[in-house]
Amino acid sequence: MAVQESEAKPRSRTISIDTWAVILALLLAVLVRFGLLKHIGW
Amino acid sequence: MATSTVLTRTEPQRQRLPWNLLALVPGVALLTLIGMAGKVLEQSISRYTKAHHLVVPNIEYVLWAILLGMLISNTVGVARVFRPGIATYEFWLKSGIVLLGARFLLGDVLKLGTVSLGIVVIELVLSIGLMTLLGRIFKLSPKLTSLLAVGSSICGVSAIIAAKGAIDAEDEDASFAIAAILALGALALFTFPPIGHWLHMSDRLYGLWAGTGVDNTAEAVAAGALFSDAAAKIAVLAKTTRNAMIGFVVLGYAIYWSAREGRTVEGSKASFLWKKFPKFVLGFLFISLLASLQFFSRDQISSLANLSRWAFLLTFAGVGLRINFREMKKQGLRPFVVGAVGEVAIAGITLGLVLVAGRIAGL
Repeated sequence: MAVQESEAKPRSRTISIDTWAVILALLLAVLVRFGLLKHIGW
Repeated sequence: MATSTVLTRTEPQRQRLPWNLLALVPGVALLTLIGMAGKVLEQSISRYTKAHHLVVPNIEYVLWAILLGMLISNTVGVARVFRPGIATYEFWLKSGIVLLGARFLLGDVLKLGTVSLGIVVIELVLSIGLMTLLGRIFKLSPKLTSLLAVGSSICGVSAIIAAKGAIDAEDEDASFAIAAILALGALALFTFPPIGHWLHMSDRLYGLWAGTGVDNTAEAVAAGALFSDAAAKIAVLAKTTRNAMIGFVVLGYAIYWSAREGRTVEGSKASFLWKKFPKFVLGFLFISLLASLQFFSRDQISSLANLSRWAFLLTFAGVGLRINFREMKKQGLRPFVVGAVGEVAIAGITLGLVLVAGRIAGL
């Protein structure tokens, strides 16, 4: 009996929640850096 | 006959965002509403007490958001229409963590990260050993014990989900382990901050303790924020260091269970580690690198930090909404008792480690 990576299984095409989070954060960082989002208050 | 158990690449549904974004709107709106209500409550009470010269302890928006979420979850309940959106609290948490990277210079990350890593490695070994021992004493199934050990040593629910597939555990065992870890995370929210204040811990030491002692990332950040903003920042860093170890521990358990069940491990371990590695840790380090290279001005860093706080606001509302006592009760007492005994011991051990590390590293 062997444990193996599932190359035979189709790869999931959806992006993980981690990756989405990084994409959103980087997008916001770019918007802030180039002045499209300014003075975000709290 | 040689058979193979497959470490599947597909991750559970809760780790992904649904493509139907409209389905997320009601739940995200509820998270926003609860978070904003928490913020308004904190500000209103603070204004009222100041105006009337009353001396009452300030209850932070974090606690209000969690309490309001808990109140809804345990009284009227959460209607099905809200659930997909509420599940995004983890997405907001991770986005917030990445954005918070702007508040750290890479040198700080390396210094505190090294201290955290030292504590995390010791905590890992001790908590895995302790949970395994407790699982045997309380006669829990070996795989449930493994899941509890993974959940308590690394990063709570995410680690349990990752390990479940790798060791081929039953759904029921994973549910037990997740319920125990969540219940204990909820408990930590109400015990860690008073203990930290009682011991007069500094923001840095308390943040390190919350990040290494509380299992689930959302609860670790909330426990930090309940102490202070600065403590939340350090808790995020410590917890992120801990999260980075997930692949190694899950791989270790996959190898252990393969050997125990007479299987052999095939496939690239490096690829397995990469798949299990939480990518938001890289995002956090990248933003921190940009901040260190002065890519952002002071005002821009302040804006990014505030965006991170908004993201955490939604997370804290989600933490409260997820606490459901009826659901926890259904899972039975034994995994909870094992988890509780283990967690109390781990919290004590990490507290000791943090205090010692604080003296050595001068934190």
